[in-house]
Parts: sequence; C-alpha cells; structure tokens
Amino acid sequence: MAGRDLGREARVSRTVQSLDAVRLTVSDATRDREAAIETFVQMLIFGILRSGLYSLTSVGLALSVGVIGIINFAHGEFLMLGAYLGYWLFVSYGIDPLAAIPIAAIALFALGGALYRLGIQRVLRAPELNQMLLTFGISIFLQNLAIILWTGDPRTAAISYKARAVTLGAFTVGFPQLLVFALAMALTLSLYAVLGRSRIGKAMRAVAQNRLGASLLGIDVDRIYLLAFGLSAALAGTAGMMIALQLSASPFIGLLYTLKAFSIIVIAGLGNINGVISASLVLGLSEAFVEFYVPQGGGWSEGVFFVLILAVLLVRPRGLFR
Amino acid sequence: MSLLTLDALTKAFGGLVAVSDLSFNVQPGEIFALIGPNGAGKSTTFNLISGLAAPDRGRIFFDGADITAAKPHDRAHLGVGRTFQLMQPFHNMTVLENIMVGELFGHALSKSMDEARRDAEAICDLAGLSLLAARDVTGLGVADLKRLEVARALATHPRLLLLDEVMAGLTPIEARQAVGLIRRIRDGGIAVLLIDHVMSGVRDLADRVGVLNFGRKIAEGRFEDVARDPGVVEAYLGEEGVGADATTGGGISGDATVGDRA
Amino acid sequence: MSAGRAERSVRGRGGARAAILVVLLIAAVLPLWVGRTQPYFLQLSLNILIFAVLAVSWDILARTGQLSLAHAAFYGLGGYTSVLLVTRAGVPVLIGMLAGGVVAVIAAAALGVLTLRLRGIYFAIGTLAFSETLRVITKQLQFTGGSSGLVAPPLLGGALPSQYLVILSILGLVLLVSWQINRSRWHFAFTAIRTNEEVAAVMGIDVIRFKVLAFAISAFFAGITGAFYAHVFLFINPFEAYSLAVSVGALVAPILGGLYSTIGPLLGAVALRAGEEVLRSTIRSGYLIIYGLILSVVILYLPRGLLGVWAGLVARRAPRPAREGAWGGPR
Repeated sequence: MAGRDLGREARVSRTVQSLDAVRLTVSDATRDREAAIETFVQMLIFGILRSGLYSLTSVGLALSVGVIGIINFAHGEFLMLGAYLGYWLFVSYGIDPLAAIPIAAIALFALGGALYRLGIQRVLRAPELNQMLLTFGISIFLQNLAIILWTGDPRTAAISYKARAVTLGAFTVGFPQLLVFALAMALTLSLYAVLGRSRIGKAMRAVAQNRLGASLLGIDVDRIYLLAFGLSAALAGTAGMMIALQLSASPFIGLLYTLKAFSIIVIAGLGNINGVISASLVLGLSEAFVEFYVPQGGGWSEGVFFVLILAVLLVRPRGLFR
Repeated sequence: MSLLTLDALTKAFGGLVAVSDLSFNVQPGEIFALIGPNGAGKSTTFNLISGLAAPDRGRIFFDGADITAAKPHDRAHLGVGRTFQLMQPFHNMTVLENIMVGELFGHALSKSMDEARRDAEAICDLAGLSLLAARDVTGLGVADLKRLEVARALATHPRLLLLDEVMAGLTPIEARQAVGLIRRIRDGGIAVLLIDHVMSGVRDLADRVGVLNFGRKIAEGRFEDVARDPGVVEAYLGEEGVGADATTGGGISGDATVGDRA
Repeated sequence: MSAGRAERSVRGRGGARAAILVVLLIAAVLPLWVGRTQPYFLQLSLNILIFAVLAVSWDILARTGQLSLAHAAFYGLGGYTSVLLVTRAGVPVLIGMLAGGVVAVIAAAALGVLTLRLRGIYFAIGTLAFSETLRVITKQLQFTGGSSGLVAPPLLGGALPSQYLVILSILGLVLLVSWQINRSRWHFAFTAIRTNEEVAAVMGIDVIRFKVLAFAISAFFAGITGAFYAHVFLFINPFEAYSLAVSVGALVAPILGGLYSTIGPLLGAVALRAGEEVLRSTIRSGYLIIYGLILSVVILYLPRGLLGVWAGLVARRAPRPAREGAWGGPR
C-alpha cells in the first residue's frame, strides 16, 4: 500500500518505528518482569491469607484425630452451623460476627459435647471404620437438616466492612481476608499455647500419646475426650463465624471444608497437630499457584486438595511434616 | 541337602538392627528351636522366612531354591507354613472354615470345596479340634486358639512348619499335649522350626537349638551343650535362666512321650 | 448338632432360598405389569434397581475389607465413556454401555494397585480423592462438555419397559456373581483378607490378586450402571455422574441391609430408595437426611443391619454370640 514515492519517508519512519519498538521491548521486558514479580507476590499473599482459615479449620480436626483417634466427617458441618449462627445473629440482632465468636464457640462446644455423649462415645472401641461411618452419618444429617431449615440458597451478611480493602504498598488486600487471617492464626497459635502449657493441654497430649498410660496417671480419659471433641467443634464453629464475616453461609460448605481439612491433616500426618500450619500453607499456596498460573485455574484449583491427598497418601502416608 | 538355609541375613528397622548376619539351616525331618531373650530378633527371623518382611542383606534358600524375593503366598505354596505368636484366627469363620482356608489356598494342589472340607476335618481330628469344628472362633480359649493356629498352618501342607510360641501360656497338661502334637507333626515328615520360651518343651523336642541375642546367633548345637555355654547363660541373666527354667519345668521331660491324650 | 437336625436345617434353608427366589421374581416382574397403567411406578422401580446394582457391587469390594468412596468414580467413568463412544464414534448404545464397564474395570485396576498399601480410613479418603479429582477433570475438559455435560442418546429408543428389562438383567447378573462368590473358595479368600491381610498371605492367598479382582468386578457393574443411567435420563454432567450421593448410597444400603451378603445390600437398597421416595414427596429438598439418620442409627444400634435383626428374631430360641460388627472383628 505504501507508494514508491513515499519510499524514503517510509524508510525513515520505519527506522523510527523500529527504534520505538526497541525502546518498547526494553520497557516491556522490565514491565513484564515487574508484572511477573507483582503477580507472584500477589499469589503468595493470596495463598498465605487463605491458609489462616485453613489452619483454624484443620487444627480442630487434627485435635479430634490426635487425641481421640476419631476422624470426624462432620467437622465441616460444625463450621457450617457456625456460619449460619453468625449470619442469623447479624441479621436478627445486628451482632457483628467478630463479637459473636465467643457465642459460636460456646454453642458449638455444647453441640460437640452432646454428640460425643450420644454417639461418638459408643463407638470408641468399635473398628475405626464404624467411627468414620457414624460421623459420616452425622455429617449427612446436619447438612440436610440445614437444607430443610434454611434452603440451599447461600446467605450473606451485609457487614459494613466486608468490601473494604487495605493497600499494602503496591498490593491491595481485602480487609476481611486480612482480619480473618490474623484472627485465625492468633486462635490457632493460642490453641498451641494452651496445649503446650495448661494442665488440660498437657493431659490431652498425654492421652494422645498413650491412652492407658494417661489413665494410670489418674487422668480422666473420658472427660479429656469430651473436652477435646467439644473444643474441636468450637474451633470449627469459630472458623464458621469467620466464613460469615468474609463469605456466605450455605449448607454445602461443610463437606468442602471437611475435605480440605482432611487434605491438610493428611499432609501434616494424621494426628500431627503441630504440622497443621505448615500443611495449610502448602494447600493455600498450591491453590493460589494454580489459580494464578494455570489457564482456567479457578476451576482446576478445586481439585488441588484431592491431588495433594492422593499424592501424599501414595508417596508418604505418614505426612510431610513429621 | 538342607531344607531351609539362611545365609547372612540382616534386617534393620530404622536404626535398630533386629537381625544381624544370621545364618543357620534346618534339615528335612528335623526339629530346630530358636531361643533367646525377648527382642532378640526371633519373630523378625520368622517374618523374613515367611516373606512378611524383606531382608536388607543376605539370602534365604528353601529346598535349594532362592526364595529371598518370593511373595509370602508363593512361599506358602512351596511348603513354608507358619503360626503367629499373637493368635490371629479369621473371625467371622468357624474353626473348620479357618482350616479350610489353608486347604484351599495353601498349596499348589487345587482342591474342590468338598475335598478341602474333608481334608480340613481330618486335620481337625489330628489337632484335637473335632468337637469345636462348627464353632465360631470368637470365644475360643487360648489353648484351642493355639491348636487352631497349628492346624491352620498344617492345612497348607507345609514341608517346613514355623511355630511361634505355641507352648507359651499353656498349662503343663496343655503344653504336654502340644509337645505330643509337634512330635506327631515331625513324625509325619514335616520339619519344624520353633520359637519358644518354654524351655522344658524346647529341650524335649529340639534336635538342635540356635540361640539369638541382639539379632546375632551366639550359639548353636544340642540343647544340653548350648545351655551350658557361658555366653548363653550371660545373655539370659536377668531373664528366666535357661537352666533354671529347664529344672523347674523338668517334671514334663520324663513323660513327654505320654502327652498324646487327645 | 445331630445329623438329623443338621439335615432339617439344610432343607429348611433350601426352602427359604426357594421362597426368596419366588418373591424376587414376582417383585421383578410386577413393575412391568403395573407400569402399563402407571409409568411412574415403573420409573421408580427402575431407579431402585439402579441403586441395588450399585449396592451389591459395592458390597463385593467391601468383602475384601476395602471400604471405597469411589463408587461414583466408576459410575461416572462408565457413563462418560459410553456417551462419548455413542455420540462421537456411532457405537450402538448397548455396546457403549459394555465399553463403559470395561473402562471402569481398567480404572479400578489402576486405582486398586495404587491404593493397595492403604488400609481402612486412608483407603476411604484416598478413594474419595480419586473420585473428586475425576469430577474436577471432567468439569474442566472441553470434550466432556465441561460443567454443562453432554446429551446422551436414548437406550432402546427410550422404551421404558425394555430399559427396565436391561437393568433387571444387570441386577440379575450382579446378584448371581455375588451369590457365586459367597459360596465359592473366593468367599474364603475375601473374608481372610478382610480379617488380616498378612495372615491371609502366609496361608497362601495371593492378596493383591484378589483385592484387585474384587475392585474390577465391583467397578464393572458400577460403570455399566452409570452408562445405563446416562442413556435412560438422556444427559450426563460431572455433578450427577461423580456425585458423592452415589458413593454414599452404595455404602449405606449394604450397611442398612447387612454387609457381605447378597440379600442384605439388595434389601437395604430397596428399603432405602423406597423410604427416600416417600420422604421426597413430603419434603422437596434435604430428603437425604434419611441417609444420615439411618447410617447413624444402624452403626450405633444394629451393627449387622436388617439381616442381623432378622437372624436375631429367628435365633431367639437358640441365641448365638454376635459374629461381628459392621467392619469385622475387634481391632
């Protein structure tokens, strides 16, 4: 299209263009690199923030596995109930989920204790698959009870600070995410402190290590089990309150969190309470990585925890962190 | 030729060496006893021979063939049978059905269900379990469970039978019956390798004895010679001494041959 | 027990067996007859039979001590295989269903080998992970129709009575296989492996072979049934095909009816699906609550299921110690 008479001009302009192009490539490269680093850091932040809630959810499950030896399939349902409690308290009484955390903890502790007395206690000496099937039954029951009571539609509490964002240098982070991360980590770490220091905590660890030995030391093993199961449920309820704060309540979230918590305690090694935070980071970062770097990563990331479970079980069934 | 030959077997679990450079052999038709303090590596040796554990080093030969890498069920088919110290009957099965498992799967002959049932009944008689044949194994006493362990292993038609503490925990009368049973098994042409802490039984039965301590063989030979070995005596200090047990339990030795009451 | 009594009890058992067979045959044909005027009844019966095949085939695997949460994986794989073969390669539907079963067998053999070392709870979690991973993959791929799924061509032109006969035949086959296994030497191998794998191996049983074999048989019926489902309901999507409800249903029915038997899973499946149907008409959603309730109650109070209750009633005159809980002897 460029005419012969325009030859010289065209050549000149082409030179200019190519110079521009060079300049452009240089700045593109720097910009690309900057963007790449930015994406990477963003991914790290996403993954780390997510691991907070994962830790709090899984540490309860690890507690019931570690101390009682029960793999509780209904763990996520405790979380789901906590989320609904948060939603209703906010909608009906205007109670902020942050303030409602102790209420959720107490309510779920009571529910956990009751379920222990009514069911779990009876299968402690049964084959472990009976225990699993019982908690599976409780899980299905609670999930469908929630569907019947509150329908399958998600409920979102319109909390004032839900959409607020915090800017950290070049990065923007949702305020609720940051808050939940800080709270969840603080709670998980304080649980570690309780287990490490307090008398009850020491008794729990003693029971976890050796049922018979602990009972010979005069520890009331049944009471410790009751406390551990109640505490486990309370932790899940607290995590549920944070779901209400950050996301929505729905009958179907329970199973998802149960399964994610499973993958975390499998990664940590069944019953290894201390490995939970590291394992949560592994899951949170793996999911974030897939979301950021794999095409259609949002869909694929749903499968990350299953792949992790399979991989760990097949390669190193004792877990990565012990 | 030896029926079973262990050639410099070593097995460690983590940092703990359970069996170290262990060699011995069992001749056809022989009763060989493996003794030693608790934790000396006797059960690990049984697991290595039956294929439930793989040695880190060394080889195992059975009837001239190298079976070091063979699967447990292949070893069973070749003629290696064993019992378990902690009785492991198949729950949800009757006594007869437990024995039938051996008749059905324990050897290369393929028997029909009827043949297996008939042959299992014969073994029930031999082991003195006929009256219990139709009983569910849940609720059987220790002596009957031990007899069932032996009967079930016999049903695999072994050429070598590994007996893991079949006399421990029995009353003197029951132990005498066990001695009689083991002798009948050997007289039927089956070589026996046994582990036991009941020294009177070992003395009455064993043609040869090997002594293990901390995974190593420290002595081998006739019971009388081994029991006098200073190294063996030292190994047993703190445990029930070989000699002491042999004398206190000595009442059995005189009339062990009478122990055929069925 | 005297010889005379033994003989009488054998004859009695044979009579009971014949009676059961007659009842089953009538129950099997009845829907066809009633269904001429009430297609809903035929449809419901067809659903029950699908469920029964899943329950019986799951139980066959459970007899080796492998509690699988992956039954939906084979169900879904069978369905997708068949639908893809029929729509893309023009394969006849019945052949497609068969191929679905075969692909499920191949997947099961692979999974079986991978999970050989996993026991109990680890096995359950591992199989669940396998099933859910398949769902995510199917949802993400293009040729499987992503999350909206695929339209499936009808089986036998969509004639409900013929379709009923097909699933009835599949059920008949799986019942026959299950019954044969329980009266053959395999029964001894499966039970021994379930009780103690190491002892079973030392007794001469090729543990790996039987575990993988059980997996393959179980998966074949799940696969072919998944394909049947797709071609009867004319669509398939990742959520229904790999639904946890399929795996859970396949497990709850045998536990309710009585594990490790042929009649137990069948009984459990019929009772559960019928109960579910009644509930479904009263509450529209959340009717699965009955699964949860039944599972909890059975585990707590009836560890041997409905068959155990029946045996308990029959044996009241001559009480016998309970043979086992739902999952084998003491730990």
